[in-house]
Formats: sequence, C-alpha cells, structure tokens
Amino acid sequence: MPSLLLIVFVLQLALHLLNNVGSSSVNQLLWVLYNKLPTPTAAGAKKQTIAKREVIRLKREMAGISAQDDFARWAKVRRQHDKAVADFEKIDASLRTAQNTFSTTLTTVRWVSTTGLRYILQFWYTKRALFWIPRGWVPGYVEWILAFPRAPRGSVSINVWDVACASCVAMVNEAVLAVWALATKDKAAEKGAHKQEGMAIPA
Amino acid sequence: MSNGAVVLGDDDLLEPTLQSILDQKTLRWIFVGGKGGVGKTTTSCSLAIQMAKHRKSVLLISTDPAHNLSDAFSQKFGKDARLVNGFDNLSAMEIDPNGSIQDLLAAGGDGAEEAMGGMGGMGNMMQDLAFSIPGVDEAMSFAEVLKQVKSLSYEVIIFDTAPTGHTLRFLQFPTVMEKALAKISQLSSQFGPMLNGILGARGGLPGGGSLDDVLEKMESLRETIAEVNGQFKDADMTTFVCVCIPEFLSLYETERMIQELSSYEIDTHAIVVNQLLFPKKDNPCEQCNARRKMQKKYLDQIEELYDEFNVVKMPLLVEEVRGKERLEKFSEMLVQPFVPPE
Repeated sequence: MPSLLLIVFVLQLALHLLNNVGSSSVNQLLWVLYNKLPTPTAAGAKKQTIAKREVIRLKREMAGISAQDDFARWAKVRRQHDKAVADFEKIDASLRTAQNTFSTTLTTVRWVSTTGLRYILQFWYTKRALFWIPRGWVPGYVEWILAFPRAPRGSVSINVWDVACASCVAMVNEAVLAVWALATKDKAAEKGAHKQEGMAIPA
Repeated sequence: MSNGAVVLGDDDLLEPTLQSILDQKTLRWIFVGGKGGVGKTTTSCSLAIQMAKHRKSVLLISTDPAHNLSDAFSQKFGKDARLVNGFDNLSAMEIDPNGSIQDLLAAGGDGAEEAMGGMGGMGNMMQDLAFSIPGVDEAMSFAEVLKQVKSLSYEVIIFDTAPTGHTLRFLQFPTVMEKALAKISQLSSQFGPMLNGILGARGGLPGGGSLDDVLEKMESLRETIAEVNGQFKDADMTTFVCVCIPEFLSLYETERMIQELSSYEIDTHAIVVNQLLFPKKDNPCEQCNARRKMQKKYLDQIEELYDEFNVVKMPLLVEEVRGKERLEKFSEMLVQPFVPPE
C-alpha cells in the first residue's frame, strides 16, 4: 500500500481538478464515450445523431430555395423539416431521461470516490501520526494544532495534512495560471504594440 | 415551374369547386379562415348561401371582432341568431370574443358582486387572475356559442373566423380546456371533502352555491367540450375551408395554417383562392398584366403543392360583393367554376 501521505495528496489533486475542469463537461464526455460502447442507449444516441444531421441538411436545403420563386418546393422541404424536427425532439426527450440518470449516477460515484473517500480516510486514520516533527521545532500550542484533532502530540494529523495539500494544490494552480497569463499577455501586448507601430507608420 | 405545368396537365386534380362540401351531408361544422383581408367573410357568406340551398337550416357565426357579416348582408346582426333577410333557413350571429366576459360578469349581476364582496379584497384579485389566463376570453365565448348552438338545432354551422392566429387558438382550445378541466375535477375529487369540511362550517360558498354545484357545472362543461372536441376531429363532421389570395404572404400563412390544422387533426381539403385577375388578352393595363403574371406564378405553386385539395378560383370583381343578390351571384362561382372571358 502506497504511503498515506501520497494518497491524501493525490485525492486532493483529483478533487481540485474535477472541480475546475467542470463536472458537467466531464459528464458530457463520458456520456458520449458511454454511447460508443454497446450499451442500451447507444442505438438511441445513434438515431439522435442521424436525426440531427437530417434536420441540419433540410435546414440548409430550405435556405437554398427561394420561398418566393419556388414556394411549392420550399413548402415541401419545410414540411419534411418540421417532421424531422419533431422526430428529433421526440428522440431527444426519450434520451434525456437516460442521460439524466447517467449523470446522477456519475456524480454520486464521483462524490463517493473523492470527497467520500476523504472523509472515510480522515475518520479512519484520525488517531494516527502521519509523520513526526522534531521536538522543539515549534511551540507547544502549534504542536497541538498540527496534531488536531486526535493524533498524538508532536505529530502531524491526517486532517492537517489534508488541508496543507489542498492549499498547496490551490496555490500551485494559481501560480501556474498567473505565469500563463503573464506569458500570453506579454505576447498580446507585444502584438498590440506592433499593431500600433504599424498604424503609426502610415499616419 | 415547368414541372408544375406538367403535373397540372394530369387529370388527377380534384374538381375546382366546393361541391364536395355541399354533398357531404354529415358535415356539421365548417370553419372558414385565412389571413386578414383575403375575403373570408365574402367566402363564408357565399358558402352559407349555397349551403342553405342544400340543407334544412344553416347558421353563420362570425367570431371576428371586426364583424363583417352585418356589412356583407347590409343587415344588423347581434349575439343571438337572426334570420337573414330573404332566406328562411339561413341565420347569422356575431359574437365578440372580448365582450363576452364583461357580459358574463354583468349577467352575474348582484350575485357575482356579492360573492366577490364576500371574499373581501381577494375577490377582485381572483377575478383579474382568472381573466388573465391566455385564451380564457375565447374559452368563454366558445362556451357561450356551444351552449346556444346545442339548444338550437341547425344542420350546419359555418364559422367565419378571425384572422389566422385567433382561429387556431380558437380551435385548439377545446383540447386545452378539456385538459385543464380534467385536472380540476381530479383535484376536486381529492380535496373536495376537505374543502367541504371547511366551507360547511360557514354554510357553503359565498354567494349561496355549494361546492358540489360548482363542480357539477364544471363537469357538464367538460363533457360538452369533450363532445365538441371529438366532433371537430371527425373529418365526417368538421372541415376547414382555407381562404387565400395568390400572394406570397397569404400563401405562407395558408401553408402554416394547414400544417397546424393537421397537427390538431382537423380535416381540411378545400382552398379558395380569391381576387384573381383575368385581364383580356389585348388589355393595355400594364399593372394588371404584371399582377396577373405574379398571380399565375403563385397559382401554379398552389396547384402543385395542394394536389389533394379542391382549389377554387374566384375572380376579382369590379364591384364590392355586398348585399344578398351580389353574394348569391358570387356564390354561384363556388359551385360552377368561373370561366374567364377571352
């Protein structure tokens, strides 16, 4: 079994990523992947895609016909289009229930395997010392805080380690973002400056 | 275009008259509808005149707030059916979808006032709330018409409807109302005993009625509506005559209307194309010829698109179609196709 220290850190990282990448987009992606597999909803999803394509095709066709000059043809395409849209909506509605169930399940599973797991770990190892700090490094009341709530005095508890990992991940994330923003902004600013120069010359 | 011409040449086109409607003896409800200003009233009056020749009794109802029946027959019509001058089996009436609520409230009179008073300040609020529901005014007038029509025994009832949007709402709402009323009766059967317990303590509803009476009334209204709804969806009993002119917008609206009607399962198989120009070959009028060309284009489109419909072509006359004689002459052309002069 890998070290508890590492597990807690990875868990925090996963939590942070999941929160920031956006659970709904992950759900969406997994839903698409799920329907690529031979699952009960795969046929419906395929039909939905076909229906969507048909609607788009008819929309294009309709846009290509002048309603004023060729009303009969236009109206016939429009009837097909309306029918296709109705079909699509029907398929979509029936799939939507399945999709909702799917994402609810996913959300539950995700919660249990991250936040839930975190709570379990915190509860289970609450009395255990993750590592010891040399005696006399920090004053007594800080030792008490580090061992909070129930780890032996002089050690670091899992809860405190958890908090430390979370803040560390958050800070690194912020730093990376800031560096990224700086780098791209610099380029953008340079570009802007170039443009201004370019503008300045003809004037 | 040329395709259309080829299709036109085939003899599978239905005859260009409303004879099929006249011959359909089971028909009870006929709706005449279309965009504003395309000649709905003229067409419905003409159809009513022709119908009167084939049926024992015909009632013509205008639900258009603009009320053109009085105009067309040069005779004042009101909320009650009245015989049209010169006919003994053709009656007409005009109902105002907006006026009927006020009428209803006025008819309620003191009782209604008292009831509202009994509810304190809530009364007025409830009243405003109830009448702000979309379509409720039409629902009221509809119920009013049904009540009258059921008590009178007409063989055919022809509706001269308001311009498109109104008509469709008017037709849709038996369905809407039936749903709403079904919900209400379901709720009341669940909560009725409880409500009665509360109301019973102080002796019935304000105004003197008891809850059961109200529910009973509602139930009977629902039954009436369900019955009429069934009749409207029965192609043997109900048909819709679309009126249009050979112009783009009118055609567009007609197509939309036909699609919507089919979604409400209401039968329609006749289109009347009004205001057609038939200038003589050597006519020097530039505008007339240009217009004729445009009309011809849309007429071809109509015939291509609605090959399962009776498409009736009516000419634009040089005089206004008003009064009994002119309407009668005009109505002939619904049955005998108009032959343009060379």
